[in-house]
Amino acid sequence: MSALLEIADAHAGYTSGVDILQGLTLSVAPGSLTLVIGPNGAGKSTLLKTVFGFLRPHRGEIAFKGEPIGRLGPAEIKRRGIAYVPQEINVFPLLTIEENLRMGGWLLRRDPAGLRRQMDKIYASFPALAGRRREAAGNLSGGQGRMLSVAREMMTEPALMLVDEPTAGLAPNLVDQVYAHLQTARRVLDATILLVDQNVDDAIAQADTVYMVNLGRIKAEGPAASFPPERVKALVQECLLG
Amino acid sequence: MFSAELFTQSLIAGIVIGIIYALMALGITFIYSIVKMINWAMGEFYMLGSFVQYFLVVGLLGPDLWWVAALLSAAAVFLVGWLIEPVLIKPMFTGGIERRDDYATVVTIALLLLMRNLATALNGPYQRSPGTNLGTVMLGPLPESGARLAAALCALAAMVLFWVLLKKTWLGLALRASSQSRVGVQIAGVDILRLDQVAFGIGVGLAGVAGALLAPVFLVFPTNGVVTTTKGFEIIVIGGLGSIPGAVVAGILLGVAESLGAAFISSPYQNAYGFVLLLAVLLIKPSGLFGERMRHA
Repeated sequence: MSALLEIADAHAGYTSGVDILQGLTLSVAPGSLTLVIGPNGAGKSTLLKTVFGFLRPHRGEIAFKGEPIGRLGPAEIKRRGIAYVPQEINVFPLLTIEENLRMGGWLLRRDPAGLRRQMDKIYASFPALAGRRREAAGNLSGGQGRMLSVAREMMTEPALMLVDEPTAGLAPNLVDQVYAHLQTARRVLDATILLVDQNVDDAIAQADTVYMVNLGRIKAEGPAASFPPERVKALVQECLLG
Repeated sequence: MFSAELFTQSLIAGIVIGIIYALMALGITFIYSIVKMINWAMGEFYMLGSFVQYFLVVGLLGPDLWWVAALLSAAAVFLVGWLIEPVLIKPMFTGGIERRDDYATVVTIALLLLMRNLATALNGPYQRSPGTNLGTVMLGPLPESGARLAAALCALAAMVLFWVLLKKTWLGLALRASSQSRVGVQIAGVDILRLDQVAFGIGVGLAGVAGALLAPVFLVFPTNGVVTTTKGFEIIVIGGLGSIPGAVVAGILLGVAESLGAAFISSPYQNAYGFVLLLAVLLIKPSGLFGERMRHA
């Protein structure tokens, strides 16, 4: 089966002359949960920002559903069916939970019936949000905030969700919940997920395919089963010790 | 000497002028909260609004249709802002500019000088008045200038309209969201550069309405925006930068402070009372009445 997302030899960075991605090549199979791991500063978050159009690769190709998207901005990429859940808390704290979801459904603003349908679907999948829809999102706890940011990106039924460190900074007992939210997203939307995670052991258990990134390139790749903890540990040591 | 009648009259006069000041401050604070910049040329958009109003009333519509002229003036100023934004402000985000605040300051001060000198070149230094057929209105036993009262009522209507736009429309939702996270709205699929453009237009449009409404009261000349802009910035410091309720409450407070000060202390110092209020607020709550200690983008 051909890949949903294909990244070939991507070079990108925040200032010209300093590339964070240095020829990264990666492909995401439809329906999969593809995990990207690697040490701090390897370029994992930069990879997601580049796919979503916050950064433009100055070399290499990014193709989604077979069409090049490397020159497009975030708004257009979102329209094509890619959603992005960044690492930072990204709810709008002063808007209500319902208003946050409406913002997630921005692309549906001329389709009130479709918007309503999507919102009902989200509330059915995340009943905890339904009961608090009139509350300011800033009142949510860390775990519920992540739930809302995942739920918000489900509003447009994206084919591909880019998820950056969804468990960073959360209490350990909430980590399982967050993965459960991601699996809910997968099940409800039939969506593909490209996940970046530092929480390697737990994340590998969720994944189908794993890529390990170091210094802006792929260092190792394969099915999740080929990344037992000992191998991951050895690879990380190699990365850190050079 | 204290008299209840003078007090009530001054209070009402203060509220009336304060509401119009608030409109100006609202424009400044709104542009700041969306585009993250201070527009120093705000007074020149006020001036533009007053000139458009003058020419529409004198040349086309007559003083009875002043309200139609005010609507058209607002639309014209919105349009000018909407056209200027992509040229002057947008490079702040797309031009790889590192010090955005400095860029915005330099560019809007340049715009201020351009617009003011252009107005002087075209109009001369003369003060013009569109005139008004609105006579004095009695509020109970107290007389109040009809033009001022009408301006305040229209300013109030403009604020209500602005509030409805923010609370009830998709555009308003995106604007409120954008003031909390520029990244967040882009993730939602909003074209942020177009949103900035509309926000800038709306913000200067608010200044334009203030200019149009006050044209018969404070007259029309190339530097007529100076006083109102100064008041606008005073209000923002008093109310807290980025706070919409702050702008409205502080605007009315400023108007009342000036009016009561002029009536009961000494009228030549009218403009000083606002600064006394400002100093008092800075002493007690340096972030402004409704301001946050720190605002995060």
